[in-house]
Amino acid sequence: MQDQDYILFEAYLSRDLSLDDIQIFENRLKTDLAFKDAFQLYKQTSNFLEHQIKNEEKTEAFKKNVEDISSAYFNKQSKTKAKRINPWYYSIAVAAILALGFFVTQQFSNPVYSDYANYGTMDLTVRSAQNDVLNKAEVAFNNRNFKDADMYFSELLKTDNNNMELQFYKAVSLVELNKYEKADALFDVIIQTPSVYKNKAIWYLALSKLKQGDEIACLNVLKTIPKDSEDYKQAQQLIKKLK
Amino acid sequence: MSQKKSHEDQKYIDGLVHNNAFIIQTIYDKFGPKVINYIKQNSGDEANAKDIIQETIITIYHQATEKGLKLTCPFDAYFFLLCKRKWLNQIKKTGNKEVTINEEVLSKDDDAQELAFETTLFEEQHSLFKDMFQDLGQACKDLLTATFKIKSMEEVAKSLNVTYAYARKKKSLCIGKLTKMVQESPRYKNLKS
Repeated sequence: MQDQDYILFEAYLSRDLSLDDIQIFENRLKTDLAFKDAFQLYKQTSNFLEHQIKNEEKTEAFKKNVEDISSAYFNKQSKTKAKRINPWYYSIAVAAILALGFFVTQQFSNPVYSDYANYGTMDLTVRSAQNDVLNKAEVAFNNRNFKDADMYFSELLKTDNNNMELQFYKAVSLVELNKYEKADALFDVIIQTPSVYKNKAIWYLALSKLKQGDEIACLNVLKTIPKDSEDYKQAQQLIKKLK
Repeated sequence: MSQKKSHEDQKYIDGLVHNNAFIIQTIYDKFGPKVINYIKQNSGDEANAKDIIQETIITIYHQATEKGLKLTCPFDAYFFLLCKRKWLNQIKKTGNKEVTINEEVLSKDDDAQELAFETTLFEEQHSLFKDMFQDLGQACKDLLTATFKIKSMEEVAKSLNVTYAYARKKKSLCIGKLTKMVQESPRYKNLKS
């Protein structure tokens, strides 16, 4: 296109042409394809400039707004992600500290009764379902209410004195209640009697001595635990620590 | 633009045109996660997603303010398609990155495809005009800037210390020059074909 073509385009767009000239211009658009293409591109360019330059401030304000919202949005995203990860780190750290703490206590601190007294819960009702006192004894013992448990065990033993299981749990309750003399005497009785609770009673007698702070007595009892006892391994560990 | 009725999601387009912060925020909240996921699954990261989303929103803004943009499909499909194409183009340019997700998984929506195509075309034209304008001589740039900012050609002439007739003639010739530069650019030929 020539310079005068562009001048003509501008005049047409600014409505500066006479009616006759407009007619001529529009006719040429219909017949001259290159002229039409050039005019369309000129119009497009003009539109672009108008938008680009006239709206420059508006566009900048818009871009700034988007940038602010975008940054806030993506910051929140990464923070949420960080939050999501942290509990893992925390729990791993806590687990590590606990494990380390457990290890340290086990290895280097003085052994205490509570480290070893893992008698768990008793489960008598299965074998003697109808006995109300037995139920109560079991519930009391499992809830670590050793005072009541001792009372119910005593009541039961009045009629069932040879029940080594009851005797054993009564003795354990007595240790928990710091009634060592009675407890130790009862353990001695169990140890003298052949029953499945014999070896358990030796182990708990040793623990009773440990709880009393009598380490020598504890050691002496521990040494009597036979190899086939399920507590033999633990007993050997305790012996090592006490030496 | 098609003659179809505009979609109810046109509110997002209108919101962008009016620089409505609430709408912009909603676009991020509602449509951002899908784009972020897609880019992350296709060799990108959050920073890439941030750029792609931002550029796409600005392109839509330009098209809507410059040409009017009538949405004939859900904004979700249109927006995701635009972001996806933009990301795939970027990957293509930087080369050797893997794209794991099937190209046409998302949109079977023809309107969305068509509209996204129009927007992509608009974006390329817009960027071509912008680059060519930068390459224009300083005198033309100053005159055109003054012309479109001030609007009244008399004032433009006064501010540049030239006659009205000269300012007016110069304006046509400068736009003509820019038109020629665009026309002769290989990028323009690609856009036309």
